[in-house]
Amino acid sequence: MARRHTKLTWLLIFLVGFLTVSPVFMLVVGSFSRGLNAFGDFTLEKYIAVYTDPAFGSIIGNTLVFVVGSAALSTVIALFLSYLNNRTDIPFKFLFRVLSVVPMMIPHVLFAVSWALLLNPSNGILNLWLQKAFALETAPLNIYSIFGMILVEGLLDLPIAYLIIAPAMASFDVSLEESSRVFRGGPIKTLFRITLPVLRPAIMAAFILCIIRALASFAVPSVLGMPGRIYVMSTYIYQTVSTGFVADYGKAAAIGMSILVTSIVLIYIYRYLTSSSERFVTVSSRGFKPAIIELKKAKLPLFVILVLLSVVLIVLPVLVLLYTSLVPYSMVPSVRAFGMMGLQHWKAVLKDPISLLSIKNSLFLGVFGASLGTLLSVFIAYIIVKVRTRASGFLESLSFLSFSFPGIVIGVGFMWFFVRTPLYATIWALLFGYIATYLPYGIRPMTSAFIQIHSHLEESSTVCGASLLTTMRRIIVPLIIPGIVSGWVLMATMFFRELSLSIVLSRPGTEVLAVQILRFSEDGLWGRLSALGIIMIMFSTSMVVAVNLLGAKFRKMQVVESLK
Amino acid sequence: MEIQISGLKKYYHSEGKVVKALDGVNITIPANKIFTLLGPSGCGKTTLLRCIVGLETPDEGEIRIGDSLVFSSGKNLYVPTEKRGLGMVFQTYAIWPHMNVFNNVAYPLQNRKMDKAEIRERVAKTLKFVQLEGYERRPATNLSGGQQQRVALARALVNEPKVILFDEPLSNLDAKLREETRKELRTFLSELEITAVYVTHDRVEALALSDSIGVMNAGNIIEIGTPRKIYFDADHRFVADFIGRANLVPAAVLEQGESETVVRSALGNMLCHKRDFSEGEELTLCIRPEFIELQPPNNKGAVNTVKGVIETLVFVGEMYETEIRVGEQVLMAKIAPDTDLTEGSEVSFFVRPEHCLLVAV
Repeated sequence: MARRHTKLTWLLIFLVGFLTVSPVFMLVVGSFSRGLNAFGDFTLEKYIAVYTDPAFGSIIGNTLVFVVGSAALSTVIALFLSYLNNRTDIPFKFLFRVLSVVPMMIPHVLFAVSWALLLNPSNGILNLWLQKAFALETAPLNIYSIFGMILVEGLLDLPIAYLIIAPAMASFDVSLEESSRVFRGGPIKTLFRITLPVLRPAIMAAFILCIIRALASFAVPSVLGMPGRIYVMSTYIYQTVSTGFVADYGKAAAIGMSILVTSIVLIYIYRYLTSSSERFVTVSSRGFKPAIIELKKAKLPLFVILVLLSVVLIVLPVLVLLYTSLVPYSMVPSVRAFGMMGLQHWKAVLKDPISLLSIKNSLFLGVFGASLGTLLSVFIAYIIVKVRTRASGFLESLSFLSFSFPGIVIGVGFMWFFVRTPLYATIWALLFGYIATYLPYGIRPMTSAFIQIHSHLEESSTVCGASLLTTMRRIIVPLIIPGIVSGWVLMATMFFRELSLSIVLSRPGTEVLAVQILRFSEDGLWGRLSALGIIMIMFSTSMVVAVNLLGAKFRKMQVVESLK
Repeated sequence: MEIQISGLKKYYHSEGKVVKALDGVNITIPANKIFTLLGPSGCGKTTLLRCIVGLETPDEGEIRIGDSLVFSSGKNLYVPTEKRGLGMVFQTYAIWPHMNVFNNVAYPLQNRKMDKAEIRERVAKTLKFVQLEGYERRPATNLSGGQQQRVALARALVNEPKVILFDEPLSNLDAKLREETRKELRTFLSELEITAVYVTHDRVEALALSDSIGVMNAGNIIEIGTPRKIYFDADHRFVADFIGRANLVPAAVLEQGESETVVRSALGNMLCHKRDFSEGEELTLCIRPEFIELQPPNNKGAVNTVKGVIETLVFVGEMYETEIRVGEQVLMAKIAPDTDLTEGSEVSFFVRPEHCLLVAV
């Protein structure tokens, strides 16, 4: 049995290594090459061109402000929300669950677009309304600014930060605080001297993960930054490969190298922090009820803030898109506007062959890609959790590597790779790239599912005379169904809305939804964009619901079978 | 069925260190008895059990269950766990949460592709035996700890194996339930013709449950014997110390008498249970606290009478736990709860020679 696992481990190491190391390798070599057709022809000119360009300084500056600003915003709001949820008597706590999960179903590019629709300086709905209400000459707010970018990216990364901080807050041993109070520490002093320092690893981990996400973010900088000529690293790469006369993939690789190196360094700091946070945060096994702080007078205003945040994160984007898809052109909601509503944009989208193709392609990538990715993740997670050898530790580190991959950078790496294979410009290139980049998201829920299965459950099946296959079929798979479902859903929604990798790899014939949305946005076709966006949200939501139902049914089936 | 183990070795390598979980174990586990492997944590008892069932592969040695060889490093033979046909109760019970009681118990029979009607009949019979009649449709997650334990037992017994293995099965139950379940288990097992191998670190459990106990330490079996033999008459100091509380007093043999061995110790000259030691040899005198008896005031003539001072006296309900100082030596003892002695009182006590156990240093 042990020998078979060794073989499987090395097979997976080879596979994952191929998926994650090859784009990095190609990126490195590509950045020193003269061009796509002169691969390996050594030159330093791309690096010199990029890093001596005087404009590069301002791009670095923009990137820093954007990344740190949005990460700080997400972390602070997440901290505030986790505290409210775990430590106060705020009502309707299910809102926190909604807030942490539902925004993941709204594609980033659509979220950014909805803010552009509201607050763009020429005809943003909110701007027009404010202008009218206060009789202003110009639009008071401009989303096409670094502050706009920070605000939107910060809101987008909020769920990530919340999902890291909230569990730490929930498992916080309140007796640490209580003993501080006993020793004459006031509530404010206790918060700053005890509570926040004990939670520091979790807070830092959330902050760093948000930085990585913002660094890799392409949707917000392209939709909100580029119209105002505010470039960050990811949009600079995009500009290098998609505008101008000749796409310069060598230069793009040279830019990408610095993002990739930064990300990889950050992800290992993150990993170190999360492993030490488990040591740091004292989870009390005796089931202490955390001391709930009564909000009293502050309850209502805080609750209003919470509801407002939910509206801004979930309801508003969908409403704005729905509204825009129905009105002929941008206008403030009014009786006249509602009178002019029609389905013209919807009809245009449903007749547009490229939009239809992009729906088809994204559905294929979402459903088939996530299934393939989940299958791979099940085996990897099994080896990581159940086989504790040096090789399985190596596999874990290797599969964790792509967690740091900024999509657009790795896209450039894949470009150098695919252009030498028949996969170039096929849907398989995208599939390959998606799985390589998003593998850790599939593995994570699966490893936690495997960790929960005590090895005795498996062993007792063997003692009862079951073969390995029977044990898999009757014990392991049914027990990890919840992990499989959440891994699949996570991968499918990510694949379905994928933008930053696709923007590099997508070619005529392999358009995907998010890329098509961005095209509409660049052309200012807001109505069609909104209609396609609503279709996109509908598909991804029904996909999530369907799989959850299927998972529940499968589990019920197990019970029914057992009753026969 | 008898289990014969010879020369069994299993080393683990972790962080450059070698852990000898099993260091050449030789043992014959008698058929149709309850045999307990007792030892401190990390002594290799669970590894030995897992080697018998096949969940671990030893580095060296042979395991024979009944007439069939299931492992032999020399013949490169390893019968996989699922082909060994044993029963086992795990420490965590390992009840599958996604199945109901019926399927948990029926699982071993289903793997043998048995006829459905027969499976139903045998599951019902086994559940009746463990007093869980009518629980078939209960989801496994909807059971108390004691009930889960009995489902695990039923699952191990349903296939009527000749050997059943227990890996600390009572350690997850609370104290009261543990005692009840222990008695039940003893009754269940004595009704069957089955060889039971039971692993525990709880000496009371081992004494109460076993026909025979093998005490393990550092990958070796130190001593094998009946509970009474192990408790009263251990050959090894480690065993005497591990199986119960013991006062260990350094001593030396003064002379070998007809039926007793006389030793010199800090308690004075003591008549002890006879053991083969040569005169002058250094050894350890082992006296259990419960065998230190206070001398009634009017009785002065008992052998092995010692005088001392009560140093501490702690009331624990059913008795006083006390420490008696005799010169440099401090002895643990138990005194009846209605005593009027206080700390500082002078006492005189005696120990019967048959309770003065001599073991090598």
